[in-house]
Amino acid sequence: MKRIQALQILAAATADLPVVVTCAATSRELAAVADRPNHLYLLDAMGLAGSVATGIALGLERPGAGNGPVGKVVAIEGDGSLLMNPNVLPTGGFLTPGNLLMVLLDNQVYGSTAGIPTYATRIDLGRLAEASGWSVLRATGPEELRESFGRALTLTGPVFLHVRIEPGNAPDVPKLLEDPVVIARRFQDWLHDRTEEAAVTAP
Amino acid sequence: MTSPPVPPRPGAAGTATASTAPSAGRTGPPPYAAAVAAGLRDSGADLIGYVPSASVAPVITALVAADGGTGGSSERVFPLSREEEAMGVLGALPLAGRFGAVVMQDNGFGNALTALTTFNAAYHLPLLVVANTRGGLGEYNSMIHTLCQHVPGLLDRLGIRVFELDRRSGPGDWRDVIAEAGAHARMTFRPVVVLTHFWSTDGKGA
Repeated sequence: MKRIQALQILAAATADLPVVVTCAATSRELAAVADRPNHLYLLDAMGLAGSVATGIALGLERPGAGNGPVGKVVAIEGDGSLLMNPNVLPTGGFLTPGNLLMVLLDNQVYGSTAGIPTYATRIDLGRLAEASGWSVLRATGPEELRESFGRALTLTGPVFLHVRIEPGNAPDVPKLLEDPVVIARRFQDWLHDRTEEAAVTAP
Repeated sequence: MTSPPVPPRPGAAGTATASTAPSAGRTGPPPYAAAVAAGLRDSGADLIGYVPSASVAPVITALVAADGGTGGSSERVFPLSREEEAMGVLGALPLAGRFGAVVMQDNGFGNALTALTTFNAAYHLPLLVVANTRGGLGEYNSMIHTLCQHVPGLLDRLGIRVFELDRRSGPGDWRDVIAEAGAHARMTFRPVVVLTHFWSTDGKGA
């Protein structure tokens, strides 16, 4: 499965969820698949997607509310990016936000920097998440990804979905040149409206 | 020939003024640490993350105790393992309609600058950072000066607003400045840093 195929599946499954996506090719490809206000693209700050998603999850979490008012906060990370800030794993395991879901698209290379191999060629990042206290699910093909993602949404606690994908970037995907302030503002407005809507419909 | 005795400076270590003098049998935090904790509470921070430092340990203890927490954590105060992730975790709160603060020491800006500039500042996300200083007067570590003496200049060069507090003002001023820095961060939609120089206060300078 190529990254863009995985992103097509994730985009279809996350229309109503806040999604924080790591920089460069992953952000570009997700925007090419579906550019929506529930996407927070990190245009730089490689490695920070998991931390940002953790912060949003903590900000939305209410004691006893399980998945929080809007369901899971989804981080889409790459293996190279996660390895830049692996602290996100023990931090998530320690703070245990019930509404945090990290999807790791692991192609074992730095996809945006000439395909240089990452530690993921020898280190199982899913096991690292397991050791840090996350619930870990795994997927390799499209069907498995659909099914595992659906299951991940039903679990409480930080959930780590480890997805093996092929190396390589989708061709002819335009660069993402939007002003980060605009990206932040539209995400913030979307999340505000979504939270209000969830509060109104809550039993 | 002997030198005449040097008169003590107001507020100098060992010469605490009435407002800062530790009272016998006091069990709470020293007044300057208590002022930082109170300023953080007054700042409107919904959640506070910290990266440990001996200077801010009494601040954290006071914040956690006020919330009824234990073991260095409470519902709204928690540790983080590195300053970079602190900028991501607490800096993301405004996206969810909330506001965060980070307590750390200033040599951690070396770890935090990419996140602070390309996330918090670039996305116009308010954040209050309160950092005790290393590398100034009273510092014992010969290496830490290399980074820390440049922190105010570095932050200024990067467009990050900095306010500094030291022995020349009392705990009440520290509390007010920290609280107002939180309002300033929200008003400017940017991260704001308060550098606290504990040397020659009743706190631990290094």
